[in-house]
Amino acid sequence: MTTTNIEQKVNETWGKPFVDNAKISIRNMDVFYADKQAVFDVNLDIAKHEVIALIGPSGCGKSTFLRCLNRMNDTIPICRVAGDISLDGENIYDTNMDPVLLRARVGMVFQKPNPFPKSVYENVAYGPRLHGLALNRAELDDIVVTSLKKAGLYNEVKDRLHSIATGLSGGQQQRLCIARTIAISPEVILMDEPASALDPIATAIIEELIDELRKNYTIAIVTHSMQQAARVSQRTAYFHLGRIIEVGETSQIFTNPQHELTENYITGRFG
Amino acid sequence: MNNTEKIKKSLNKRYRKEKRFRLLSLLAVLTGFACLFILLVDMIIKALPAFIQTEVKLDIHFDQEKLELAAHFEPEELQNANFRGLIKQSLQQRFPTVRKRSDKRALMRLISVDAEYQLRDKLQAEPQLLGETVPIWLLVDDDVDTYLKSDKQFGRVSQKQIAWITELEQQERFQKRFNYWFFQTGDSREPELAGILGAVMGSFYTLLVTLLLSFPIGVMAAVYLEEFAPRNRWIDLIEVNINNLAAVPSIVFGLLGLAVFINFFGVPRSAPLVGGMVLALMTLPTIIIASRSAIKAVSPSMREAALGLGASKVQVAFHHVVPLAMPGILTGTIIGLAQALGETAPLLMIGMVAFIVDIPQGVTDAATVLPVQIYLWADSPERAFVAKTAAAILVLLLFLVAMNGLAVWLRKKFERMF
Repeated sequence: MTTTNIEQKVNETWGKPFVDNAKISIRNMDVFYADKQAVFDVNLDIAKHEVIALIGPSGCGKSTFLRCLNRMNDTIPICRVAGDISLDGENIYDTNMDPVLLRARVGMVFQKPNPFPKSVYENVAYGPRLHGLALNRAELDDIVVTSLKKAGLYNEVKDRLHSIATGLSGGQQQRLCIARTIAISPEVILMDEPASALDPIATAIIEELIDELRKNYTIAIVTHSMQQAARVSQRTAYFHLGRIIEVGETSQIFTNPQHELTENYITGRFG
Repeated sequence: MNNTEKIKKSLNKRYRKEKRFRLLSLLAVLTGFACLFILLVDMIIKALPAFIQTEVKLDIHFDQEKLELAAHFEPEELQNANFRGLIKQSLQQRFPTVRKRSDKRALMRLISVDAEYQLRDKLQAEPQLLGETVPIWLLVDDDVDTYLKSDKQFGRVSQKQIAWITELEQQERFQKRFNYWFFQTGDSREPELAGILGAVMGSFYTLLVTLLLSFPIGVMAAVYLEEFAPRNRWIDLIEVNINNLAAVPSIVFGLLGLAVFINFFGVPRSAPLVGGMVLALMTLPTIIIASRSAIKAVSPSMREAALGLGASKVQVAFHHVVPLAMPGILTGTIIGLAQALGETAPLLMIGMVAFIVDIPQGVTDAATVLPVQIYLWADSPERAFVAKTAAAILVLLLFLVAMNGLAVWLRKKFERMF
């Protein structure tokens, strides 16, 4: 089924993209890879302490969108971002905005667990050390233990903090990556399909963790699993061919979608 | 005929093909192995005589008069004393029938020219020997040495000399010992005195300079090109040029070194410093290309992970990318250095082919290197140098094996770190 069969408009966003207490607000965002446009005129607010799920078929631009929020796309030379993206009212693509500082404030967890091939301790300590967050060894130890506890991993690895991180299981590795991210106390955590490489049990643990993390962090999560979006998020945005088709309360999106494309997608007829 | 039968029918053919391919591959490996084996065995057999040195026992009377020393003499005067006369005297006593001048000279030629210095050192170490008669083992000349070692087939010895040698042999005055001298001295015109240490030290210093120059420069260049350089036409041009440099004949680098380093900058000629600089130029492309591919092979997810935590580009490169690429970088470096170790042509241009007896003590002393030493010895007319050449090749091969061993060890070490 293609877009042409759908009568409803696709070039404007349905639902409620804007909120009052926005942590990140995105206005008229376009993303290009060389001449090819990947994201079209996206308008969205991400509220404080919410989990927003970004769903949509493969290649719809949701990962690209996510990676623009902490300027990870800067590393791709052909990528160009237009429009306004602001974090607490500051434009993150402003020349005054330091991408290093931005990425310390907006952390990221990737699809594939990617711990550094170092010890568990070193993995978590890397960020705080980088930014000089700990004055001495005791403080650093404290940050590492607290972060591992927050990520729900401490009990499993407390006896092997100094053995190599790549020896952990996939789910543990992913939680280690989350611990590593929260060790520098970011304000926002971006998650790009964090559970797609994990088994259902590890996924469940990660989902519980996300729910727990919401108290302190703002989270944007890209996922292919509708159930996961329904379980962990408060709001959901549906992406289609580079546009946000519909945004709204997760419960509303999944029970009463307003756009036909959204409905097709969540009912499994599409994508 | 259904599909299963069709597949079954084709299976035999496929397996035959596979078997053929496996056999051919095995044959290729065996051919390579056989060549290596033949080379090594040939080298070892040819080199063996170089590790053995013949000595002759002569009864030396440390006669003060013959030494042309006054009754009371200063220790320094020993330096110029006539030790040659002692040998002459001893030989005359042993062969009293030799009267003719030319025969006497032929008789003296049985003994190495170094024998008189052996005697001098002996007397300096044990002054109480003055006036005594003692049997002493002295080096024989290389012609005699070759004659004895080759079962009397080769060696430039006259009929008369053969008679004397036979006589000495019957008195059991010859002994063969391990030629430790070979590993302790520099080059010499006399094969029995020529050693490999000068060339080994020359190679060592040259490679040290090469490593110190080419490793940091090569790795930094590779890191810049892979991690920081913008993608534009200039960078493409640089890339093409680096790849071209890797294929430039090495003698061209030698000419460059001669023109730039020696003539323009005035770096001392024949020295490991200038040799190392030239070889560093030659090694750079190899290191850069190997390092770049090692850096390229580091998973992008490592870069993302570090970037996502707020690491700057330099931090990403030096905390994560370079350590992860290190095994590959080191392999490339060692391959480059092994190439440099075997390089002769460019060093000929910058004067490292000179005949140098002294063992170099630093990077600015005149020196030669192993491959050039091999070339020099292979070029020498004396038969004994054939064995020396093979022995030098063995030393060079050992050097190479040691370097490759080091590479493997470093690889393992760095891989274990992660």
